[in-house]
Amino acid sequence: MRQRNPAIKSTSRLMITCILVAILVIAYLGQSTTAGAADNVCIDCHGKLPGKYGEPVKLWQGSIHAANGVACNACHGGDPKDAANAMSPDRGFLGVPKEKDIPAFCGRCHVGVLKDYLASLHGKALGKGGPTCVTCHGNHKVVKASLELINEKSCSLCHSFKQEEIIKGVMAKTESRILAIDAGIAAFKQKGIDTDRLEKGLFAVRNSFHSLFHTVDVARVEMESARIGAELQKLDDLLKGFDAVQRQRRLIGAFAVAGALLFALLFWLLRKTYGRL
Amino acid sequence: MGLFKRLTDWIDFRIGVRRIVAKELTGYLLPANINAWYSMGSILLFIFAMQVMTGCLLLIYYVPDADKAFKSVTVIMNDVPFGWLIRMCHAVGSNMMVLVLLFHMLSVLFMGSYKRPRELNWLSGFILFNLVMATSLTGYLLPWSQLSFWATTVATNSVSSIPVIGQYLVEFLRGGKLVGPPTLGRFYALHVAVIPIAIASLVGAHLFLLKRTGVSTPPFGLKESANQWQGDDYRYEDHPGGIPFFPNYALQDAVSVALYLTFFLTVVFFDPYLFFTRESFIAADPFQTPAHIKPEWYFLANYQTLKIFSNEFIGLSVQGMAMTCLALLPFIDRGRERHPLKRPLFMTAAIGGILLWVGLSIWGHYS
Amino acid sequence: MNEGRRKFLGICLGGAAASAAVAVGYPVYRYLAPLQKEKSAVKVVIPEQEVPVGGAKFFEYAGSTAVLVREHDGDLVALSAVCTHLGCIVQWEKEKQGFICPCHAGLYTAEGAVISGPPPKPLAKLPFVVANGIITVG
Repeated sequence: MRQRNPAIKSTSRLMITCILVAILVIAYLGQSTTAGAADNVCIDCHGKLPGKYGEPVKLWQGSIHAANGVACNACHGGDPKDAANAMSPDRGFLGVPKEKDIPAFCGRCHVGVLKDYLASLHGKALGKGGPTCVTCHGNHKVVKASLELINEKSCSLCHSFKQEEIIKGVMAKTESRILAIDAGIAAFKQKGIDTDRLEKGLFAVRNSFHSLFHTVDVARVEMESARIGAELQKLDDLLKGFDAVQRQRRLIGAFAVAGALLFALLFWLLRKTYGRL
Repeated sequence: MGLFKRLTDWIDFRIGVRRIVAKELTGYLLPANINAWYSMGSILLFIFAMQVMTGCLLLIYYVPDADKAFKSVTVIMNDVPFGWLIRMCHAVGSNMMVLVLLFHMLSVLFMGSYKRPRELNWLSGFILFNLVMATSLTGYLLPWSQLSFWATTVATNSVSSIPVIGQYLVEFLRGGKLVGPPTLGRFYALHVAVIPIAIASLVGAHLFLLKRTGVSTPPFGLKESANQWQGDDYRYEDHPGGIPFFPNYALQDAVSVALYLTFFLTVVFFDPYLFFTRESFIAADPFQTPAHIKPEWYFLANYQTLKIFSNEFIGLSVQGMAMTCLALLPFIDRGRERHPLKRPLFMTAAIGGILLWVGLSIWGHYS
Repeated sequence: MNEGRRKFLGICLGGAAASAAVAVGYPVYRYLAPLQKEKSAVKVVIPEQEVPVGGAKFFEYAGSTAVLVREHDGDLVALSAVCTHLGCIVQWEKEKQGFICPCHAGLYTAEGAVISGPPPKPLAKLPFVVANGIITVG
């Protein structure tokens, strides 16, 4: 073994030490501070308030509105970027709606539902002890609508649960079909299949199905459920089509893999005829 | 005279092809104790060729415009006949390339083939490793999905911790303050043209160096497994009495490639979405960051290292130093011994390093 | 002995290579060949008088709902009636001469441009021709 030049050895050690020290010094001096982006002054302020003034923020954060970027100002108006004028009527701030104004408040966006509700027995009882949107859906923790909203606890607040139970029963079968198709679409989306039209189709059907309930008319629900069932069948058929294509591809795959293995075998046998190795 | 012989004669009398075949193929002798690990390079060449071919095919339908990119990939996956196959081959192939490259590097490490006189080969290989990682990173952005967009944001962000020039570097990489259409433009140019040409050139250099120095002898089954290199003059390391490259080892290469294809096709046809997440199929939305964005598996260790150190610059420097040590390995490890079981210090460091990398990757996956 | 084996294996490999060439060549050829025009949707024929001035007519086209609008200046517009937000079918508002989506109140003009609300894109336009009092969409 050659003897290494001691001068080179100590010089490289010194260089490495210097580099390490330099890095540490630069790291200490160059500590970065991350600036937080100012999102929404309503949330910034109310998020820190105690009791009933801060509660809505936490409730809202678990809602479907929050997941879709619908924040405080979308319903209550006002300016989410200007703390000084956030709650000024000049910026469209509406405050908390009175009970009779609640359906119109939500109905600014949920137009179709408002129409159905106002035409229903529930709508006609508005202001006379009847339910408003928040009675069943809550006000800030509004979650994705499901059949669970029709339950004994909510309905028996005012009357017996019998009619509602029938409606729920009629809707349960369709609901489970919708959920199955939804899961199927998600599985195919994960495989790169263009599920855009399917998703839109399902959303439209699901919406018309759920808003159906706001009419609280058993006969109407039964009739519409049949029509909706036909729509769902079309979607289901499309999904079955995708399934068939996937199965076909896997079959081709099996042949391809077998082919590759065959090649490996043939090459290996040929290699053996040349001996050695 | 057979037609084949007449044709060969015609070419041979003009360029001496028979002499080339005798020298480079049938007369090119490899060490008698050569093993299958020496095929890894050929597999990598095959994968690179496949990536270039599937990539060129994808170029026909892909549109490198931020508004149209995602839709064009959806069209390839759904409307173009066999577009799904070409795209999945390309996506799975890129992961395979990194995997096989890691195995190639490991086998070189364990057999000590990076030691003198093969330092240049190791260096060119190290640069190739970085280029492959770079091409994977740039390619990832092109589908312009939520995953593409945000993974690129996180990856380019890490550079910002470099003091003084950090922020400027980030903007230079992105072509702007945030990831956007300019980023797509430069990443596309890098991924499609610059890096593949660089890889091809370096592979050429890598192979030239290999041929010029001579294939290394595996240290297994030898009485004397230490490096015999004198270091006083150039000497081609030949293997008299060894195995002809053609057809013997060429057939071994073919077997290895076929076995790789078996594995590759199994993944492509039966679980190609192994590397995809839900966010891979949602169009990029600069205003909505999905929860749990993670980089690809081969970057998880880097990602986790950055998360461990509270100061990002230290995290970057640690990685920089590790990579530098790896690059300069032939100059740090100057021992002559090549057999893995006779290099306890190296093996401890190497296995420790591998376990650390695997551990960090697993941690990065679950954190 | 080896020669015989090599010849046999060579033939097998030749055959395998030929099949592989076809197995690879066919998808690549299909991939490169010009795309067939989308299965031309069944054209829908509607008599002109079914679309009054300032009114809209909804009909089924290519598996989903579409709409024909005749604006006040007499111009006809053919649009997809699928809201670009989440897919509900939009409704025509005669007084406002525009479309409203009942799901989240997306508002569109008679030509399908977005006025307000969550829709990210305008309503898709559909191709149509008018001849001899007959509108043919598609």
